Amino acid sequence: MPIKHISIFGDTPLVMEYASLCLHEKIHVSLRANPSGAQQAGKKLPQIPRGAKRVPKPVKNVGLALELSNLSLDEKRKNLIELDKVLPSKVSIISSSVTVSVTEQSGWISKPERLIGIGALPTLLQGSLIELALSFKTSEATLQAARDFAGAIGKDAAVVQDSVGMVLPRILCALANEAYFAMMEGVAAGGDIDTAMKLGTNYPHGPVEWAERIGIRQVFAVVAALHMSFGEDRYRPAPSLHVATLRDGLPAR
Amino acid sequence: MIKTIGILGAGTMGSGIAQVAAVAGFDVVLYDVSPDVLKSAMERIKGEFRSGVEKARITATAATEALAAIHPRKNFSDMGNADFIIEAAVEDLVVKKEIFKKLDVIVGQDVVLATNTSSLSITAIGSLTKTPESVVGMHFFNPAPVMKLVEVVRGKQTSDESVKTTCDVAVRMQKTPVVCKDTPGFIVNRVARPFYGEALRLLGEGVATVEEIDTIVKLGGGFRMGPFELMDLIGIDVNYAVTKSVYEQFFHEPRFRPHPIQRQMVEAGTLGRKTKKGFYTYK
Repeated sequence: MPIKHISIFGDTPLVMEYASLCLHEKIHVSLRANPSGAQQAGKKLPQIPRGAKRVPKPVKNVGLALELSNLSLDEKRKNLIELDKVLPSKVSIISSSVTVSVTEQSGWISKPERLIGIGALPTLLQGSLIELALSFKTSEATLQAARDFAGAIGKDAAVVQDSVGMVLPRILCALANEAYFAMMEGVAAGGDIDTAMKLGTNYPHGPVEWAERIGIRQVFAVVAALHMSFGEDRYRPAPSLHVATLRDGLPAR
Repeated sequence: MIKTIGILGAGTMGSGIAQVAAVAGFDVVLYDVSPDVLKSAMERIKGEFRSGVEKARITATAATEALAAIHPRKNFSDMGNADFIIEAAVEDLVVKKEIFKKLDVIVGQDVVLATNTSSLSITAIGSLTKTPESVVGMHFFNPAPVMKLVEVVRGKQTSDESVKTTCDVAVRMQKTPVVCKDTPGFIVNRVARPFYGEALRLLGEGVATVEEIDTIVKLGGGFRMGPFELMDLIGIDVNYAVTKSVYEQFFHEPRFRPHPIQRQMVEAGTLGRKTKKGFYTYK
């Protein structure tokens, strides 16, 4: 059954991106952006896409819900609990599982079988594929609902094992972290690192500019989550990446 | 103004750089310790120009002129005629030491000695000469005639003047120079490590398969090639060697740690495209 109405909660840039894409596919959108992820200083607060409706609380009559918080796990947990309480049990919840595994999230709600993870990171919807991850409780119906959603917004879906960072966010954020280490150590300027990576390895964007597009706070959140999840020094965030989050996304060059 | 470039070593990189320099209008003195290597380098360059003319990438006149500007030389002392030196010998500090000792005697103090290394310390190479301030890294990427990037590496004692001269030469060769500090892996070989390292770990942890990871990276991220396709292309042994070198030079920094999967593939002799078998099988 095609989705008619979707509820999208989470970090501002992700909520806006997913809302625009859903609206483009004629799906009604009710959205709520997290207070903390509102927006970084120095940038304009984005308008909500035309046609989307801002809601103070979850609405019942949706066919699907998205929870797209990566920055604050507190907000994510609150959003999920709220959605889980209000939504009829047949409604699936697709939740970003980039900074916390979907298995861990499934312990927060009363109906974990309706929960499935998605590799949501700002700008990645420009690609033609999205990553999904299941917890050991995710139902077949939920997986099907997530596949249908991917199809509805014109994306292929790849199911990967539930692991913080999933595949692409982990690789991209690790690249950005290394670029920030190199910058911090004075190996080269950020713009030069970007030029070198584009010309030397054919990357579509340089890691420094890519991190800025994604949002420094989002990148930092992924690296910090990898660090926490694996407990390995390998994933410690570059101090300069942390500083950049405090500079509120102003160019770090 | 630099007129004559001396190139030491006529292997793949040396001959590729010679070709680029000649097209850019430099006079090129190309030296190799082995006459056979020198001969096959000239054959290769001729072939490159021939196919360039056929594909209309270069006019016949320009190709003839460029070819005439490359002078293969068997005597090391002919390097004395160059006013900019590019050393493209094997990646072996002992070999480079011999070369730089000889260069010290025959080239003027003001001649820049650029070394096309990807893994050795520019500072260490610089210390082999009487003029460490004139030693600079000039890292071309393979194939040199195609790849636009040149990393210009500033050693501990390299002068600003040498860095600037090297950048100017790179620009005249139609390349894009990027200046970086002498640190393991310079920019590209260091910053690219997580692309392979995280992909290998994802595979090792069973998060996704080789094919899945490559597909996600390409379709999701817009990369032209996935990490495993790229490792197969580069050569799994070569990629492993670079990783080990960066890891060791950074005193075992865990971000650069190689993965057991890489070692095992090297042990198995499945090195990628060149052995028809790597992460994928090739016919």
